[in-house]
Amino acid sequence: MQPVIAVENVSRLYRRGVEEIHALVDVSLAIPAGLFVAFMGPSGSGKSTLLNLVSGIDRPNTGSVMVAGQRLNDLSEDELAQWRARHVGLIFQFFNLIPVLSARDNVALPLLLTPLDKRERLRRAETALRVVGLEQRAEHSPRTLSGGEQQRVAIARAIVTDPDIIVADEPTGDLDARNAEAVLALLRQLRTDFGKTVVMVTHDPRALRFVDEAYHLDKGVLLEGEAAGRAAEAIRLAAGHSSAGAPGTAP
Amino acid sequence: MTYPRLVLANLGRNKLRTALTGGAIMLAVMLVCLLLTMPNGLDAIMNRVSSNTRISVHNKAGIVYPIPYSFARKVRQVDGVEAAVATMWFGGAFEEEGKVTFPNFTVEPEHIGAVYPDYNVPAAQLADFQRYRDGAIVGRQTMKRYGWKIGDRITLRSTVFPLSLDLRIVGEMPNEGSPLLWLSREYLDQALKARGFRGLGVVTSIWVKVRDPNRVNQVMRAIDDLSRNSSAETGSETERSFFASFFGSLQGFVKIILIVTGLVTLCIIFIAANTASMAVRERATEIAVLRSMGFSRHAIFTTLFAEALVLSTLAGVLGVALAWALTGALRAFSGWSAALGPLGSFMVTTPVVIQGVSLSLLIGLLAGSVPAYGAARRPVVEVLHEVF
Repeated sequence: MQPVIAVENVSRLYRRGVEEIHALVDVSLAIPAGLFVAFMGPSGSGKSTLLNLVSGIDRPNTGSVMVAGQRLNDLSEDELAQWRARHVGLIFQFFNLIPVLSARDNVALPLLLTPLDKRERLRRAETALRVVGLEQRAEHSPRTLSGGEQQRVAIARAIVTDPDIIVADEPTGDLDARNAEAVLALLRQLRTDFGKTVVMVTHDPRALRFVDEAYHLDKGVLLEGEAAGRAAEAIRLAAGHSSAGAPGTAP
Repeated sequence: MTYPRLVLANLGRNKLRTALTGGAIMLAVMLVCLLLTMPNGLDAIMNRVSSNTRISVHNKAGIVYPIPYSFARKVRQVDGVEAAVATMWFGGAFEEEGKVTFPNFTVEPEHIGAVYPDYNVPAAQLADFQRYRDGAIVGRQTMKRYGWKIGDRITLRSTVFPLSLDLRIVGEMPNEGSPLLWLSREYLDQALKARGFRGLGVVTSIWVKVRDPNRVNQVMRAIDDLSRNSSAETGSETERSFFASFFGSLQGFVKIILIVTGLVTLCIIFIAANTASMAVRERATEIAVLRSMGFSRHAIFTTLFAEALVLSTLAGVLGVALAWALTGALRAFSGWSAALGPLGSFMVTTPVVIQGVSLSLLIGLLAGSVPAYGAARRPVVEVLHEVF
């Protein structure tokens, strides 16, 4: 299957004063379209940097990032913004909804970047809210929604433009167990029902039960073979989920 | 969801801050508009009270220095002079108030009507002014202020001469804004002599009506030539020039006020810019999220800039409207209250409206552009690193 995300020999170096931080070192991976994958690893392992690269928010120092047929290295800041608007839906740990807008307006916000008219934007926002089961809460402001509901609104905002990939940065990090499971199930549903490619950064061991594949990173390096297996096992053991099934075994 | 809705929603985010910032801009624009009405207002006052064919003849050393009363007769002989009247500041205080509250002059009743035909005092009242030695003609503003009417008797105590005079009001200057009072020069002269003083041998000004507007300069030169090398040389000037020099010092004051207002406006720009910067800082996370969603730097800049521009323009329009309402109220009340009389001339004209609205746009432009540019130009990943 043709990969929707192809990362080849990518390195990313940050300079903080005189200090050099090697966030990613020679990382290569290919993610086929229509999979739900997770980038996992301890803090500072480079998983968020990798997520920023595949979502076109950041650019590598070396190597190539190809997503949805577009080599992102070649795009300027403004071209990347246009590309993100068309191809990427973003979900954040803290939901990051605009507090002065209703749930419906928050969902409709990315549609401002499309040529759709007002009526069509409204229709699509309501459809997205229906997908996440919040059509009854369309008029509510984020302050009046629970954490789980806010994250579902954020998911509706991410899918409303019908992007090629959905990128989620710690989407369960600020949720209780029940809501975390619901959000993971919803992300899984986007993959199974709508064929979306979902890429997620997470510390949450529960994610292993929902994703098709988990990529493990440590100190900027993508772990492979036995090292990756040990990392996955360590996560399962830490969470007491050793019998929950192999990665990619959806519930 | 539309961009205007996003802008308005963001303006309503912190209602108190928006109201205070808008209020500051509104008051600054109102203040500037009121001050901008002053030069035109002063011109209007001057045009109303002055004429180009009327000349003031006074001592070259200044209007407080006298010239001989006999000089008035010589002036009347000058070719081109239609009429001339000798006037003297009486400085009369209305007994009930004890201080000078309106300008009052001694004049020659037989000449005053010819020099001031534009004051429209009815001929019959001018005739009464000549008939009654103690007669007085009073401006409508002062008549209204004290509730006087024709036929009333009043007493003025002079702050220049050691006496009081009982006066009979025989006429009215029908100009709503006129505070003047004229009394007979001869009446004062006789009253002084009756109290053992010398008569009134001098005057402070001679007002001259020139027959031909094209010959005003020639007539002024001819009058001043009459007193050349005497102990009281005269300096003549048109009434408009006389009031212009009088208002000149006031216009200097207006310039100072305009400079101060400019500085106040600058402060308002800094305050508004600081408020906009605070708003942008508080929303760094949201801006980062919008940028990562795909909103371009241009879209972010335009949205933030539009907020500042909408706020300052709305506040500016309100400020202009407030200035317009205030000057309108002053105009409406100037007929009712003597104290507000001259203020009725200050009007918010179309150019003032344009300048006021332009000023508010300038405030929005300067206050909004810097923080909006700052927020838009930062790379999205840098902002995300800071806020997540």
